[in-house]
Amino acid sequence: MTATDSIRYPAGGAEAPPAGSRPARGRRASRRAENRRKWYEIIGLTTPAIAIYVMFVLVPMGFAVYYSLFRWRGVGPPTDFVGFDNYVVAFQDPIFLDALRNNAIIVVGSLVIQGPIALAVALLLNRPFRGRTVFRLLVFVPYVLAEVTVGIMWKLLLTDGGTVDALLRAVGLGSLVRAWLADLDIVIWTLLAVLTWKYVGFAIILLLAGLANVPQELNEAAAIDGASWWQIQRHITLPLLGPTIRIWMFLSMIGSLQVFDVIWVTSVASVRSLGASATMATYMVDNGFFARLWGYGNAVAVILFVISFVAALLFQRFLLRRDIEGAITRRVN
Amino acid sequence: MAATAVVSSPSRRRRPVSWGNPLTYALAFVVAAVSIAPVVYVIIGGFRTTPQIVADPAALPDPWVWDNYRRVLTESDFWRQAFNSLVIALGTTLGVVVLGVCAAYVLARYTFRGREGLYTFFTLGLLFPAGAAILPLYLMLRDLNLTNSYFAVILPQIAFALPLTIVILRPFLAAIPRELEDAASIDGTGRLGFLWLIVLPLSRPALVTVGILSFVTSWNAFLLPLLVLGDVNLHTLPLGVQNFSSQYTSDTAGILAFTSLAMLPALLFFTLAEKQIVGGLQGAVKG
Amino acid sequence: MAMKRRAGTILALLTTSALLATGCSGGEEESSNDGELFTKPVTLTWWHNASQDGPGKAYWEKVAKDFSALHPTVTIEIEAIETNQLQRTRLPAALLTSDPPDIFQAWGGGEIREQVEAGYLKDITDQVQAEVASIGKAAEIWAVNGRQYGLPYRMGIEGIWYNKDLFAKAGITSPPTTFDELNEAVAKLKAINVIPIALGAGDKWPAAHWWYNFALRACSVDTLRKASTEAVFDDPCFVKAGQDLKAFIDTQPFQPNFIATPGQNDPTSANGLLANGKAAMELMGDWNRGTLDTVAEDKEALSKFIGWFPVPAITGSAGDPKAALGGGDGFACAKNAPPECVEFLKYIVSPEVQKGYAETGTGLPVVKEAASGVADPALKAILEATADATYIQLWLDTAFGSTVGNAMNDAIVSIFAGNGKPEDVVEAMKAAARK
Repeated sequence: MTATDSIRYPAGGAEAPPAGSRPARGRRASRRAENRRKWYEIIGLTTPAIAIYVMFVLVPMGFAVYYSLFRWRGVGPPTDFVGFDNYVVAFQDPIFLDALRNNAIIVVGSLVIQGPIALAVALLLNRPFRGRTVFRLLVFVPYVLAEVTVGIMWKLLLTDGGTVDALLRAVGLGSLVRAWLADLDIVIWTLLAVLTWKYVGFAIILLLAGLANVPQELNEAAAIDGASWWQIQRHITLPLLGPTIRIWMFLSMIGSLQVFDVIWVTSVASVRSLGASATMATYMVDNGFFARLWGYGNAVAVILFVISFVAALLFQRFLLRRDIEGAITRRVN
Repeated sequence: MAATAVVSSPSRRRRPVSWGNPLTYALAFVVAAVSIAPVVYVIIGGFRTTPQIVADPAALPDPWVWDNYRRVLTESDFWRQAFNSLVIALGTTLGVVVLGVCAAYVLARYTFRGREGLYTFFTLGLLFPAGAAILPLYLMLRDLNLTNSYFAVILPQIAFALPLTIVILRPFLAAIPRELEDAASIDGTGRLGFLWLIVLPLSRPALVTVGILSFVTSWNAFLLPLLVLGDVNLHTLPLGVQNFSSQYTSDTAGILAFTSLAMLPALLFFTLAEKQIVGGLQGAVKG
Repeated sequence: MAMKRRAGTILALLTTSALLATGCSGGEEESSNDGELFTKPVTLTWWHNASQDGPGKAYWEKVAKDFSALHPTVTIEIEAIETNQLQRTRLPAALLTSDPPDIFQAWGGGEIREQVEAGYLKDITDQVQAEVASIGKAAEIWAVNGRQYGLPYRMGIEGIWYNKDLFAKAGITSPPTTFDELNEAVAKLKAINVIPIALGAGDKWPAAHWWYNFALRACSVDTLRKASTEAVFDDPCFVKAGQDLKAFIDTQPFQPNFIATPGQNDPTSANGLLANGKAAMELMGDWNRGTLDTVAEDKEALSKFIGWFPVPAITGSAGDPKAALGGGDGFACAKNAPPECVEFLKYIVSPEVQKGYAETGTGLPVVKEAASGVADPALKAILEATADATYIQLWLDTAFGSTVGNAMNDAIVSIFAGNGKPEDVVEAMKAAARK
């Protein structure tokens, strides 16, 4: 096996049609029968997945688009058609614009903060040393915990005079104590820290999986040639990790755009409604459900989807290309 | 044992694992501490009493009390909620794996017109925020008379987990060498037989990975169960945590104990499966 | 073997599609029972908001059981759902479908008006005349255009809960009756280093209620009525309310970081501050007696020091000083609910059931005959003040409906946060009325 092959090339990508069509054998009739049989199999095997996916993902989304064109407060069926008014209103609402800004902070902040941390930790935990498995496990812990659990936990820790404040005072950093969840200028950064704590483990998992694909022989060869550990990481490992890093960036970006649970549980309703900690998703639920602006809430949902979609397309166009399959799972043959 | 390559295999092959240098350990300790300190705090906090916590949020239990954990385990709905979470997570996992592998198999190993279109169609699902269409979804479930049943959570969760599952499984299934399929075909095994006899055993690591991911996602899910499971008897653990923390408001120690117990199953499960996840993501199939 | 396995696959597919198909056709029809009462067996589904284990929830279970015992043809299925979830998502969504609950929580005001206009509710005017008479004015909140669509089971006005011990310590001899006196009290309390007023602005509505009270003092009763029924907020008194509020906030009567303090959650909530002697006052409704109890470390001490007085008047303002803000909880029947639903509704507000409700201590009853069930002195004070009030204005967010109410609350919170102007509240309300 060669390293470059196994890294760069996903099997079964669009350019490389996978196996399946077998060489023609026998007469035309049997080929037709074979063909029909193949279609039965295709339809039989994919229908359940398609049905459930269409029914529970696409159909509701379609309804969301439809409802978004109405002024509808959830009483009676939607009748008051307003076209794209809801969309216009959203982009005129300063709180929604705050939510957009917060999402941008979380997208960029997650990439910029989690990326280097995850890379450093993954490289560290990829070094063979005794007890490594235990450390790996510990590092993944936050990622496994339920968002609600994490939210409630941090809320308890970060309340005024809570554990975090007590700890800071105990180590003589009392002057750093802030109203972590109440100060409108600070709360988004507090939440970013919590999100980083929660999700950096996911980046580490992906990177470790990517690192496991970097052939040990290459590193060893370089080491024999006198390259230091740093040089090996810099010149061999990092370039080979490219696809994994990009796929993580993609998933992190989409996740950051859609982030909901942690923010919802950790931040308070008033602070959200002032825009200080709202994200598009919490704004959608606050408006769609709590203010009962169902048409409007659905419009926000559609905006959220379109933004995710455009971001994904741009990312795909400029960075991801065909990595999507290759980086997560890759053939080594 | 073709498909058992997991992340630890390279080190197994080479010299015995050595002790790393002190710096490595120092760094690893710092990272691990940051990761689990809050969690440890919550677990230990469950062994204190609320007055102890109020008096000094950052101290150790003195004395240690077991009462909070005992109360949660015997007097709350913890067990019922854990059972509900388990049923829903298992149902979701089973559905995701079965439907996902069928669809991914077709997308990986059949050549037909519209295949890439179908694949794009599924990957589009990655972009739908699970919460976005929650309102229409709720209305639909209600019209189908599905609310207040396990299915109300299981079916949408399967649907939302399918895209990532297919994205992970497809290249994995495609990577199974063509020669194996030809050999099977010569033995008279059809494509479905090949799927059952060869592909499934070979792709176990990837199946375990998608299974674990969907299990954990389901175990942690909040918004969907919150909206569709009105019946308290069907509530899952995340709802339980939320309910408990708003119901026994003044009982900080009890909340800490409940929160700890609610995270334990996920932690245990993950501990057992960690290698599989990394291995499955790595997707190594040694031919 | 291969054949068998394929058959298995196909079977699995068929089962899946069958499942989906049955799911699709599964809507069951509610048989409307037009005949005599209590002849055919009926099942009533009942959604209420006493979701937490406690006397309230247990009491409703008992009420349902008792009713079924009286009328064996009626089975009652209860679903207890947390208030926000019930009001904002579950109920509106259920009412849209063909199978809503039969009897459910109704908040009155703008909410019930919208529901009536959508044709969701049963007109019960003719069946409940006796009950309406015994409840009195409060029943109007559940009436639209003179027709009755629901009945309250709990009703009370809000006022200021206070700590008598801290007042004595600060040298405040009697509860303030005007805002000037309140301001003096605040200064005296600050002097002894306690938080004068606890405020749970984190939940938004506890903060908004301060504005409501300023509006109640600034606006005439007619103006408030017009705002509720016609969504007209042009009167300058609404801006005046914001200005008065801002002036009051500037005296810094609240605890630090009040903007994120939860209303009634944990010991650090506004409730907890009052219940545990850290704050001296809190503006809250009649249910506060029960919620204070749940967060108090020492319930006995709490029951000794807790007191209640009406919201002070503003000297020289247009509003009626004897008017009060209040609200309650009620139930309504779905349009197609069986007639037994109305009978059950009447049963809930019967003096006997109401008395039992009052004894649970979770809220104040609506019928006078049940007043003897109220034992707590603070609650008794509220009961008297409620009877004494010349006009009871329903909570403004409920009166104006969720949409306007929510926008109004957000804008008020903005004033509390220091970045909103008094005029913004009215602007936000007008904008929301158009959304």
